Amino acid sequence: MTDLLLPTVLFLPLVGALFLMLVPAREEGMLRGTAFAVSLATFLVSLGLVFGFDADKAGFQFVTDKRWVDSIGARFKIGVDGISVWLVLLTTFLTPIVLLSAWRSIEKKVKEFVITFLILETGMLGAFVAIDLFLFYIAWEVMLIPMYFIIGVWGGDRRVYASIKFVLYTMVGSLLMLVAIFYLYVKYGQALKAAGLPEESTFDLEAMWRLQLPHTDQIWCFLAFSLAFAIKVPVFPLHTWLPDAHVEAPTSGSVILAGVLLKFGVYGFLRFAIPLFPYATQTLGPYMFILGMVGVVYGALMSYAQDDIKKLIAYSSVSHLGFCVMGAFALNPAGMQGAIYAALSHGFTTSGLFLAVGVLYDRRHTRRIVDYGGITSEMPFFSAMFLICTLGSVGLPALSGFVGEFLTLIGSYVGGRDFADYMATPQLYTVVATSGVILSAVYLLTLFQKVMLGPLKNPKNKGLPDLSPREKAVFLPIVLGIFVLGVAPMPFLKPMAKPVDALLQSYRTKLAAPDALQIVGGAPKKPEPKAAAPEGTPE
Amino acid sequence: MTYTQQLYYVLPLFVVVGGASLLLLFEAFAGEGSRRWLMGLAVVTCAAALLATWLVWRRVSDFEEVYLFDRMLVADKFSLFLTMVFLAGTLLTVLLGTDFLREHDSLYGEFFGLLLLTTSGMIILAMAADLVSVFLGIETMSVGAYVLTGAFRRHRRATEAAMKYFVAGAFATGFLLYGIALVYGTTGTTQLADIAKLASANTPPLFVIGQFMLIVALGFKVAAVPFHMWAPDAYEGAPTPVTGYMAAAIKAAGMAAILRVFYTGFGGDVLPYGPLGWATILSILSVLTMTVGNIAALRQENIKRMLAYSSIAHAGYILIGVVAAGLTPASGVARSAVLYYLLAYTFTTIGAFGVVAWIGRRNDERQMVDDWAGLAARHPAAALAMTVFLLSLGGIPPTGGFFGKFYVFRAAMDVDGQIWLVIAGVLNSVVSVYYYLRVVMAMYFRDPAREPRPLASAPMTAALAICAVAVLLMGLLPSSWLGLATSSTVLAAP
Repeated sequence: MTDLLLPTVLFLPLVGALFLMLVPAREEGMLRGTAFAVSLATFLVSLGLVFGFDADKAGFQFVTDKRWVDSIGARFKIGVDGISVWLVLLTTFLTPIVLLSAWRSIEKKVKEFVITFLILETGMLGAFVAIDLFLFYIAWEVMLIPMYFIIGVWGGDRRVYASIKFVLYTMVGSLLMLVAIFYLYVKYGQALKAAGLPEESTFDLEAMWRLQLPHTDQIWCFLAFSLAFAIKVPVFPLHTWLPDAHVEAPTSGSVILAGVLLKFGVYGFLRFAIPLFPYATQTLGPYMFILGMVGVVYGALMSYAQDDIKKLIAYSSVSHLGFCVMGAFALNPAGMQGAIYAALSHGFTTSGLFLAVGVLYDRRHTRRIVDYGGITSEMPFFSAMFLICTLGSVGLPALSGFVGEFLTLIGSYVGGRDFADYMATPQLYTVVATSGVILSAVYLLTLFQKVMLGPLKNPKNKGLPDLSPREKAVFLPIVLGIFVLGVAPMPFLKPMAKPVDALLQSYRTKLAAPDALQIVGGAPKKPEPKAAAPEGTPE
Repeated sequence: MTYTQQLYYVLPLFVVVGGASLLLLFEAFAGEGSRRWLMGLAVVTCAAALLATWLVWRRVSDFEEVYLFDRMLVADKFSLFLTMVFLAGTLLTVLLGTDFLREHDSLYGEFFGLLLLTTSGMIILAMAADLVSVFLGIETMSVGAYVLTGAFRRHRRATEAAMKYFVAGAFATGFLLYGIALVYGTTGTTQLADIAKLASANTPPLFVIGQFMLIVALGFKVAAVPFHMWAPDAYEGAPTPVTGYMAAAIKAAGMAAILRVFYTGFGGDVLPYGPLGWATILSILSVLTMTVGNIAALRQENIKRMLAYSSIAHAGYILIGVVAAGLTPASGVARSAVLYYLLAYTFTTIGAFGVVAWIGRRNDERQMVDDWAGLAARHPAAALAMTVFLLSLGGIPPTGGFFGKFYVFRAAMDVDGQIWLVIAGVLNSVVSVYYYLRVVMAMYFRDPAREPRPLASAPMTAALAICAVAVLLMGLLPSSWLGLATSSTVLAAP
């Protein structure tokens, strides 16, 4: 039974999408209802992953390993560990909410919309659960096309420009990553042969983690992987696609983009770039760390300068994810766990903020801050929801944002203490980045004040209806999540601890290994470690 | 083996040539009304030839080479695989072309006869074991293609295209003959399998010059830059289904010839390498071809012309695989990658040009990107099919085009020092995605400017459906198709 849990989560949305293709396009109610039901069912099934998860294990759980593209050794291998299980849950949690929120705001091509969304969900889940580099790449590309259509078909006025920019940015990164994946594959085959092992090369990530590349190769491969992830995060200065894509995308697209897609960058660094290329991480990690800091401050300042609510929130994502990058490249448990936690929290708070913008836009069809003011008196319930999301994003203690930012900043301040020559003064950068916390309070609270508080200046805002029951159902789970993440972080942090420790452990082991092509710690499928490479330190 | 036994192995060729002769004969008697009947006969011929190929396929074991007719031809799985690709392409072209030409008032029975004769030339080319049969195949193929290009015989554009193609092609033929003569003069053989053995000990300058001439001639046939000048005009002037046929099947045949001549004839441990080696030259040509093709395609507003340039770019990607095959003669990875690519590319390209043919009418061809605006709203299935083809051309999963590129790049990755080809290919793919997606954007993101009035005949729709399903199947279940290609990689080793 537990074997089927993860494939069910992965493929349920796709099956739903295939079923919906048979439903006639005019049955809009049925299309929306079925899509929502399917995504809700996916969420409920994915809860099984969380309850069945063994937090004391470092490795992957719920693993399914099937033959797939035999000719190149690519397998259909999926599983979750303490890092990805939360991102899977975030994805399955946000999708029904987003479908619910789009109930009224998406009116044209409803059938295409719900089908695209469900395919997108499978693509995103696939990229989070893949433990095969080739499968990961396919899923990574598969989610690109639905997102392209969501921005391009249901987006705003400049949607054509924004969608093609989004695709081209992502493609540049991902294709170079594909080259690096090939390269790893070829080198892994060579290393196996050199170690006298009979196995064929594979794309299996767990096997690939033991491959030690020569240092120069590591640098190039790290750059190729990091470009893909840095564009996704986005790390300054590769962030310019994000404001366009967010602003032009429909609310539902923005939520998924900010809530899930940006997390792939952070996830990719932790899952692929750092463990696969330790030497390159040690050499180039400090620069990523500094870029993260720049992103924090730059995003915050840009955010403050915006007069469009959606653009303001888009830039706040650049700032918030800068913390995640800093945490990931602090290379210590606090920083890394903080990075994942901050990414999770961002998934809730920013989604909430984008949904709030969507609510305002649905009513007034404008996103300019000056058109609002004093909305609280008209929409008190909405005001409370908006305020909680804002404060959560700012990082008020007892709300979700605080835990993640606190952990990343602690991790960053300590820096790579275990690695003498990693970084000289992480404290300095951390202090600068901390100003981002203050700045986020400045721009987000100013936003709240200008939009919600004060006198009702604009007569058009008079008598705006408060949230409908459907909209309340959209916001309440998110707000609940923000409280839970803020008050009880331990259940979330505990499963992360083991995988993060294992990651850092293998990082150190491989860093100590000499500068040559080899397999560290013996080949994976070999039971006896004596067939291992010279440096063999069996696990 | 007796002559009669040998005939069994060229059964597909006989069926195709026989069908072509019958079609030409019937055309003399057939009236205006019975031309649809000719289409039926052409379809039956292709199907029968496919069946014959399958029969021969079953008799030839995986790594067997059956030499025929005093070592002029060779039947192996490589040639049989490609024969099937050509025949599939021909079949689809017949389905797409008949109603298209009738719509344009240019349907003559010769169309079918010439198409099948052209295909017979390709089959000879795929089976060639001797430089003379290479020449025979190329000429048979080209003469048919020149005439097909000018099928709109009353249009100035078409006549110009055919003339241009013919003059440039005749020039290339001169190079081919001259090259063959020089190679023969320096080695004393035209047998492909013997050339490498005789030449690798010492390569006199005249031999090297002969090799260059062959590169020029075959580069012309696959429209590799800088020998591509004829291609955009010829592709644009030809009837759209014929353009698809030229861009897919004729290019595949040219690639088969390149593999036969260079991999077998000029292979080994010496000839492909070094600054004057053919692999080095082809690798430079491949990067030039991709880059020039893609950059030129970026600026096109006419979809047919854009696809013409994109097919030039694709020749560049395929050449990466050819180079890898030359530099790793022992492993079949690169050769199977090229075969897989050609198969996927044939369905994709014929499909893409097929949609262009499907959408237009006489004097209302709708070839501009703007004409396609909002197509998805009116004809969702056609828009979806075109999207599948364009994504496949762009190399985005889950399509056959993705795996084609993937396998070719992986093959190049196996060769030391050729990673730059992969990076060039990947960056080119990004560029190409831009112009492919422009069409997708027009179809899905914009509102219709004019009501579409597609030709939409039943055989055309069926052909498009076959192409789309094949492209998706190759993307979702690549293993079985690659297995087919892998078992077809036997090529006479140098």
